[in-house]
Amino acid sequence: MQILRKTELRAFERAKALGPDKVLEELEKSGLLGRGGAGFPTARKWRMARDSAASEKFVICNADEGEPGTFKDRLIITKNPEIIIEGILIAAYTIDAKRCFIYLRGEYEYLREGLQAKIDEIKNITQTEISIEIVRGAGAYICGDETAILNSIQDMRGEPRIKPPYPVDKGLYDCPSCINNVETLANVPLIIEGGWEDKRLFSISGDVREPGVHELPVGITARELVEPCQPKERIKALFFGCAGGCIPYKEEMIISKDTVAEQGAMLGSCTIIAVGESRRIPDVCKNIQEFFVHESCGKCNPCREGNYAMLGLLDNISNNIGSDAPDDSISTVEELAGFIKKCSLCGLGQASSTHITTALQHFREEFTK
Amino acid sequence: MTMIKINGTGYETKAGETILETCLRNNIDVPYLCYHPDMQKQTRCRICIVEVNGKIQTSCNTLATDGMDILTDTEEIKKLRRMNMELMLAGKDFSSYKGTRFAEVAESVGVTTSRFGKNSNKKIDEDSPALIRDNNKCILCGRCVQKCQNVQTVNAIGFTNRGHATEVTPYFNRSLNDVACVQCGQCSLVCPTGAIKEQDNITGVMQAIADPEKIVLVQTAPSIRAAIGETQGMEPGSLVTKKMVSALRKLGFDRVLDTDFSADLTIVEEGTELISRIRNNGVLPMMTSCCPGWIKFMEHFYPDFMPNVSTCKSPQQMFGALVKTYYAEKNNMDPSKIVSVSVMPCTAKKFEIRRPEMRDSGYADVDHVLTTRELGDMVKSRGIDFQGLDEQDFDPLMGQSTGAAAIFGATGGVMEAALRTAADILEGKELESIEYQAVRGMDGIKEAEVEIAGMKLKVAVAHGLGNARKLFEHIRKNPAEYHFIEIMCCPGGCSGGGGQPIPTTNEIIKKRNEALYREDQGLPFRKSHKNPEIIRLYDEYIGSANSEKAHHLLHTGYSKKNQF
Repeated sequence: MQILRKTELRAFERAKALGPDKVLEELEKSGLLGRGGAGFPTARKWRMARDSAASEKFVICNADEGEPGTFKDRLIITKNPEIIIEGILIAAYTIDAKRCFIYLRGEYEYLREGLQAKIDEIKNITQTEISIEIVRGAGAYICGDETAILNSIQDMRGEPRIKPPYPVDKGLYDCPSCINNVETLANVPLIIEGGWEDKRLFSISGDVREPGVHELPVGITARELVEPCQPKERIKALFFGCAGGCIPYKEEMIISKDTVAEQGAMLGSCTIIAVGESRRIPDVCKNIQEFFVHESCGKCNPCREGNYAMLGLLDNISNNIGSDAPDDSISTVEELAGFIKKCSLCGLGQASSTHITTALQHFREEFTK
Repeated sequence: MTMIKINGTGYETKAGETILETCLRNNIDVPYLCYHPDMQKQTRCRICIVEVNGKIQTSCNTLATDGMDILTDTEEIKKLRRMNMELMLAGKDFSSYKGTRFAEVAESVGVTTSRFGKNSNKKIDEDSPALIRDNNKCILCGRCVQKCQNVQTVNAIGFTNRGHATEVTPYFNRSLNDVACVQCGQCSLVCPTGAIKEQDNITGVMQAIADPEKIVLVQTAPSIRAAIGETQGMEPGSLVTKKMVSALRKLGFDRVLDTDFSADLTIVEEGTELISRIRNNGVLPMMTSCCPGWIKFMEHFYPDFMPNVSTCKSPQQMFGALVKTYYAEKNNMDPSKIVSVSVMPCTAKKFEIRRPEMRDSGYADVDHVLTTRELGDMVKSRGIDFQGLDEQDFDPLMGQSTGAAAIFGATGGVMEAALRTAADILEGKELESIEYQAVRGMDGIKEAEVEIAGMKLKVAVAHGLGNARKLFEHIRKNPAEYHFIEIMCCPGGCSGGGGQPIPTTNEIIKKRNEALYREDQGLPFRKSHKNPEIIRLYDEYIGSANSEKAHHLLHTGYSKKNQF
């Protein structure tokens, strides 16, 4: 995997030799998009942060990998932490930040020591004035949202902020803050050093014998993604984490951001949970729904109360499958799902009903029979 | 000029104005719950959604920008709002919201029942003497938390748990009575559902009135006369002193007296104390002590300032101590039969009467405190046509007051009243210039330098505990800067008190305060020490200001309180 290549600070040295403007140019040329899920052009984000005249700026590495079925960042943190740190240093150098943070998922506490050792080692070698602090999350899903991370680092309740202002304008302690995913930052040294290919890390799990992280180009078929992981049974559906929704498994379908979006789902951070045909989709949805009820931060009414009410409806449907569940409960589910999507405050809340809308779009008969 | 289109009609917007604010200014109805004009936007409730250029957005936080095309009541918007309201009502009993902002919004949206939820059964927190919290009614709009944390910087309440289990609670899930809550009731003032409200004292008062053995006396705080009209359908800023007296008589109170009388008394005692501190190198700056919310705040968070705080009791408590002694004696009443009631703009007053120090008459100095809202409810439930009432005067002996007392209800009012008296005493003559404009108005912290008898007196006024905190931090670093400080717990002073009518906003508070300054200008006496009933009280009962008897009845002490 290229993401595990050891760049050994050569990229950081080259970045300094190039200067911030050339770094931004190279990044722009590469076309690197954010790997956290939203897919925002990294160079554009950095440029906005760089153009800000503020005296204090921050770089934050989002390592709060909380989406169920996603474990790609863990691989990098475990096997190539140097490249993340190097990416952070390049970001800090480019936007002119002195303080950086790695917001580490609460459950990744066991990775902290190793990561800290690498930070210290690199600090020793580079003697850079840029500091990197690890802040450990407390286990809340919402703290993967970039504005909730800001609150969490500031010792506030993990709730999303209203956007705008965006973090690049007014982020941590109201200073411009550049927040990038682990995988995004890990790609930066590869781009700056050269010989970079635009590949994604797919976290593939579910009804397969060999779940794991695979580095693959975007635009290959569903079969090419799933087969190497050795399905246990015939695969019926692919779920893109909990928030991304699902599509029916069609072997020759090209899996890309656009093709998945055409089916109403979101490829997001390339998380694929393969669901075998022995499972009932309403049960899978109920399971996902329990996750959202547990993880809704509680700030806005649609996500907090909507998801709770939705669980009750799904529970009912799941228990009554086969006994001619009344159709009006399905229409209530659809109404509620649409409401949650349109009215929730943050991206995570808005996405929390995608699994239901896509399941009803593609597997409706399973909910009624 | 910035123009936007709302429901097909063009409107001008002001810089920095949100869509909701433009709508409200033009009387276009958009429902809202978590929004409050004086606080940070939260977008928790999401009921204020509108369509902006085809996209659903919350109107409370979205700035109105040029060329926006806004629809406020499409079928889709109405449907989404109905679903939202159903979810807010999930597991709740609509009838428990009678008369609240929330009920009004629910009805306007067209939803009063819900398909969702099981009845919630959360424990009601009723241990505090001032406030009751019933989380079964709470819709988590967060206004109370905003007030407590950002405006008052008390942080007694906050959100705990997450998702559907989220609740607003005092820290460590304790009762409000067991945390550093100052009982100011600002939370209850902004709560749209009545989930946090004042402890009910109506029942106790009604029972006392119904008891033929009891003599029920009532005092009314300075700010009530400029606010009670709002509870009876009158415009903010209506000054209804004499109708209020009339209403209280109709409700069956045996004597209707005035806290303004004891506000004058406070000024004479406090002014004398200030002069004595200045002349005898006492602890300065001296700080006012009329406000029980600020006193409790000081005891929890700034106990190092205890020696700075005037030892004068608040006007309510001076009044209470006199009613069962001086007033009983002069009227041949048995003090054990007197029930002393006060009408206050304040919930902390309900706490204050239970402080162990407040029994100097040998009894509880004050037995019951009604908020402005509670009095309004009593008047309404009796079917009294308030606006049509005749105008009556307070009963004598403790019913007369001056303009200096009237302005106690506004931030800066106590300072101004004290300066009027202190200046006369120090100069040894009657001064004609008595208006101190620098300490008036809604600025959070106000400063003034006043020259009296060749001495430069530097004073400061803060209202709202967030501002008070800023001022204290400054004084800690510059202890010698000021001579005299006025602190009021609530924004705007007592006019913005936690027991005042809902809604209360800065705009409304300004109008109430203007009414108080009108009252001041219309009164024959405008300096506390000129109040004939105060002069009589000293002549016939107390002797002189700060005398031993005065100290026994009219002064008090403070004690450090823990935060945790």
